[in-house]
Amino acid sequence: MSALTAVMYREGKIRATNLTFIFWDLFFPLGYLLVFGVAMSSAMAGPFAGLGANYNAFFLAGVLGMASFGIASNTSWSFFLDRDNGIFYEMLTYPLSRAQYLLGKVLFNVFIAMLQAGVTLGLGAVLLGIRVHAALLPLLAAAVIGGTSGWFFFYAAFALRIRRNDVFNSVTSVFYFVFLFASSIFYPLDPLPAWLRRVALANPITWQVDVLRFATMGSGSWKQITLEGCAFIVFAVISFFAAVRILQHQE
Amino acid sequence: MSQFAIEVENLAKVYKRRGRAPVQAVDGMSFSVARGAIFGLLGPNGAGKTTLLKMLTTLLEPSSGRASVLGYDVETQPLEVRRRISVVIQETAVELFLSVRDNLLTFARFHGLDRATALRRADNVLERFQLIAEADRKAQDLSGGQRRRVQVGKIFMVETPVVFLDEFSTGMDPILKRAVMGLLREEATRGRTIVLTTQVLGEAEELCDDILIMNKGREIARGDLNALKLLSQNVYKIAMTFDRLPDGIREELAQTAPMRVEIDQNTIEVAYKEDEASVLEHVSRLARGRNVLRVELNGASLEDIFVELMKETHL
Repeated sequence: MSALTAVMYREGKIRATNLTFIFWDLFFPLGYLLVFGVAMSSAMAGPFAGLGANYNAFFLAGVLGMASFGIASNTSWSFFLDRDNGIFYEMLTYPLSRAQYLLGKVLFNVFIAMLQAGVTLGLGAVLLGIRVHAALLPLLAAAVIGGTSGWFFFYAAFALRIRRNDVFNSVTSVFYFVFLFASSIFYPLDPLPAWLRRVALANPITWQVDVLRFATMGSGSWKQITLEGCAFIVFAVISFFAAVRILQHQE
Repeated sequence: MSQFAIEVENLAKVYKRRGRAPVQAVDGMSFSVARGAIFGLLGPNGAGKTTLLKMLTTLLEPSSGRASVLGYDVETQPLEVRRRISVVIQETAVELFLSVRDNLLTFARFHGLDRATALRRADNVLERFQLIAEADRKAQDLSGGQRRRVQVGKIFMVETPVVFLDEFSTGMDPILKRAVMGLLREEATRGRTIVLTTQVLGEAEELCDDILIMNKGREIARGDLNALKLLSQNVYKIAMTFDRLPDGIREELAQTAPMRVEIDQNTIEVAYKEDEASVLEHVSRLARGRNVLRVELNGASLEDIFVELMKETHL
């Protein structure tokens, strides 16, 4: 346990050295809702009327999913920074296992993601009138925790495997483009062309966002989100073992 | 309990490279290091020292063979090994965004120190490494030498029984380096085992109880300084200072086939591997008809042994 708290202590210390980090960590999803969500809500009131909710209520799940994705991408960048500083290799000689190293990082990410979600839900309710189902808050928390972990392990596997940060930057850009836009983050899948809908349905971020959307606005069915939730857990577990394995073979 | 802190048996590492021939960085090394010893790994660039150290510190998996630290296998029990070691890697390694003090405290936290002990030891390290004025500065604002001090200072925050240092003195000024060498000696006296790699032979000569010289991934000599000097029996070093450097001295020396020649202003230093009588003849011939201000004749230094051994292994 002390190894995990030591990793979290380190991450927290580094994040606390810069106010921009703290502001970004806490308010980035809310910022998306306030700008993109409000704009889309006004522009597309018609198409979303059929969902029985405004775009903000629909987008809340998307923004939380996007936040999990964003935290993972940002934290994975730190592997490159740590490698450049040499501290990455020194840390690998510290008394903790490779799995503990990754789990410590992910626990810190989960802590930030939960704070983000709390701020987004609270201020989203106050400023935009978005209501969520209180009874489903534990499911929402589980989707934030699972999503943040899964995406971190997924990104970490690439960040640990790729040695050049410019290559990782390109990979990240492609991931952002594909995962975020070919998914249910920004729009419902039903009106999409068949090929794009198929891609979106195979996208793990859709699985996570659909669970989040069920938890926030009750759309979808238990059967569907159980299936998607299980698929995401498999994705997260595979990513975790891939990341640990790659970390064990750093040369 | 074994008397050895480190035991290595036929350890090898081959780097496989896509589309290119594999590189045998460490080739079947076997040795052991006594508890509380200061053990020096010496060798030229590319000898395999860092690869060997990386395997012992669980940063790299061996391709074959086995190694253990305090009885724990580096491959099958890496976490147990890591609980008992602290490492100064060759590259400078600091937390750039943290202050010097927080660098020390974070390191201590990983090693499970309570806060009060960590704070007390941090003050001690800051003082010993002349970093008190920098304690609250972020590492990113420090010079390269100061960062290295922070990095080396970290090993004095904890009491791991084994310490690995990969070219620890890089970037350190001579006074601090001497002070750190003194600290390392103190740690060894207290029972910590120190394993260091260096290319600065004087450093190893002054510090190490036990030296292993390697080249091309293999051991080429092993022992304490005296044992190594025996390996290179009949190596003598002549130092002569003239009133002025004699004309044609370089050519004259070259004809005598020395191991090594150094000329600094009006002083020459020449090493020979010959019997004592022949060396005395060289001294006599060099002095003949010249105004010699100083003559010194010494046995081989570690540097001479190193040069000799490297020649033998076709560096």
